[in-house]
Amino acid sequence: MSPNSVGLPVSIVMVEDDEGHATLIERNIRRAGVNNRIVPFKNGTSALEFLLGEDGKGTAHAGSSLLILLDLNLPDMTGVDILTRIKANEHLKRVPVVVLTTTDDQREIQRCYDLGANVYITKPVDYEGFASAIRNLGLFFSVMQVPTSE
Amino acid sequence: MASMSHASVNSPRTRTSRGPLALLGVGALILLIVVGTATWLAVVTARLSSDVLTARAARTAASDELETLLDAETGQRGYVITGDPSYLQPYNRARARAATDFDQLRQSERANRANQPRLDALGRAANDKLRELALTVSLMQAGKRDEAIAEIRTGRGKTYMDQARAQLAAIIDDAEATAGRDLDQLTFDARLLRTVTIVGGLFIVLFAGAAFRLLLRYIREAVAARKEVEGFNVTLEDRVARRTAALTRANEEIQRFAYIVSHDLRAPLVNIMGFTSELDVGTRALQAYFADETAENKAPALEAANQALPEAVGFIRSSTTKMDGLINAILKLSREGKRELLAEDVDLRRVFEIILASVKHQIDETETKVTLSPHLPMVRSDRLSLEQIFSNLVDNALKYLEPGRPGKLQIEAENKGQNVVIKVTDNGRGIAEQDRERVFELFRRAGRQDRPGEGIGLAHVRAQVRRLGGDITVRSKLGEGSEFRVVLPRSLLIEQSVTL
Repeated sequence: MSPNSVGLPVSIVMVEDDEGHATLIERNIRRAGVNNRIVPFKNGTSALEFLLGEDGKGTAHAGSSLLILLDLNLPDMTGVDILTRIKANEHLKRVPVVVLTTTDDQREIQRCYDLGANVYITKPVDYEGFASAIRNLGLFFSVMQVPTSE
Repeated sequence: MASMSHASVNSPRTRTSRGPLALLGVGALILLIVVGTATWLAVVTARLSSDVLTARAARTAASDELETLLDAETGQRGYVITGDPSYLQPYNRARARAATDFDQLRQSERANRANQPRLDALGRAANDKLRELALTVSLMQAGKRDEAIAEIRTGRGKTYMDQARAQLAAIIDDAEATAGRDLDQLTFDARLLRTVTIVGGLFIVLFAGAAFRLLLRYIREAVAARKEVEGFNVTLEDRVARRTAALTRANEEIQRFAYIVSHDLRAPLVNIMGFTSELDVGTRALQAYFADETAENKAPALEAANQALPEAVGFIRSSTTKMDGLINAILKLSREGKRELLAEDVDLRRVFEIILASVKHQIDETETKVTLSPHLPMVRSDRLSLEQIFSNLVDNALKYLEPGRPGKLQIEAENKGQNVVIKVTDNGRGIAEQDRERVFELFRRAGRQDRPGEGIGLAHVRAQVRRLGGDITVRSKLGEGSEFRVVLPRSLLIEQSVTL
């Protein structure tokens, strides 16, 4: 993935409760040639603690570049809650969010885009589809521009 | 409940049939007796009155006869003494009357058999007297005055007169006695009639009063029965509305359940298929190395054998275990939903005492102060469900206490209409607003994931509470505590429960 405008590398924040999914996602992103740092979280609480920082205002990530991979079905809260918090935060609202989940419910997809999700991808059940979707996502990451948080 | 109300509706109907009929019968009988007595007394009175009149007529007729005979005798004496024919005027008038008077007397005495010999004797005496009078008068008219006087002197005329007088006196006495007796009887009968009428009247008033009271009671009972039926209708509508709401809710829950299950079962499935493909990739690397043992092929083969393949097997295994766990949880819920409920009297205080005793270790460990209200009511419900519901709530309260703060657990309950409201309150870490509905969903948990759990407990609790015809809600403040409110019907209607 290309570095951001000031040359800092982009970190990928992955919120995924299923360890197997996390491993498969990471492996396929790597196969696409993306070597950026991946920060994994198994639940919403710890992910939000990281994203918003200790003060809960998100200032910790000012100046850095993030990309968020978000699963909707988490054990402790829904991905929608996390998406809402990110898009409501002054420092994080421009961070690209890719929703990657098993749900293909139309209302859920609409709701995520309404809340400001940038991409919504349904995890295919067949592995070939899943792997190629992630690899294509990795290729997409390598060409996209990520803004620096303010 | 239903059978009791039926009994209370039925019983007045059976009372209705006998009470008033008996009362009516007795009233009618008394009325009949009064009317019968009055009629009989009226007939007797009429007969007595006519008897009195007859006796009076007889007396008058007897007096008239005596007077006639005396008149005839007086006229004869005057004529014999003076020879003045003007004395013959009363004599002749009396003679003319004599036959009619006697007939009248006979007429009025014809019913009196006892007096017939007297009348015969009187008739003979009167005839003899009249014949004696006629003899002396005809002697005088023939100028034989001395013979006439001699005839009188024989005293025959006086004897006849005395005989007639005696018979008449007896007849008059008899008539007066009869009239007196009949009058006494009349007075007695009148008094009797008055007494019977008054007593009968009193009884009728009494029975009319009783009948009126009975009628009032039946009217009141009928009104009460109608109100009861109306009440049933209202409850019925209520129950239909409640059941409809429960069914709608159950349907929504089933949809939500299907959604969650499909997602949660799909996630491990993606893993199994993914890591099966990874196994494939690793196997190919190994195959490539064994086909051509070059250094170039060795690195990926080693990586596959040492890392990729064991990792894939591990994930496949854990995903299979997870799927098994999910399926077991769903089966448990399904079995719980199918278990037959048994309504029995349950002492809620006793239920909580047993639960608290079983978690004494955790209570001591967390230094939790437990307050169990002494006023927990009795309910009629399924004991096993109640034990599981409250055991889950108490477990959760102790499990999610705020670390470093002595725990507080409060259990109280109160009756509210047909329901009982049970509150389990803790001072634990609380539940964020957006999670208050989610905590009741299957496989979902809220807050920090620092405690073991599968996200089944509260889903199970809600399913059970709803099966008992109730509902559960939570009020909470993040970081301060939670209050779980369980509303249950005080008496479980088995048919009312809706299974998930």
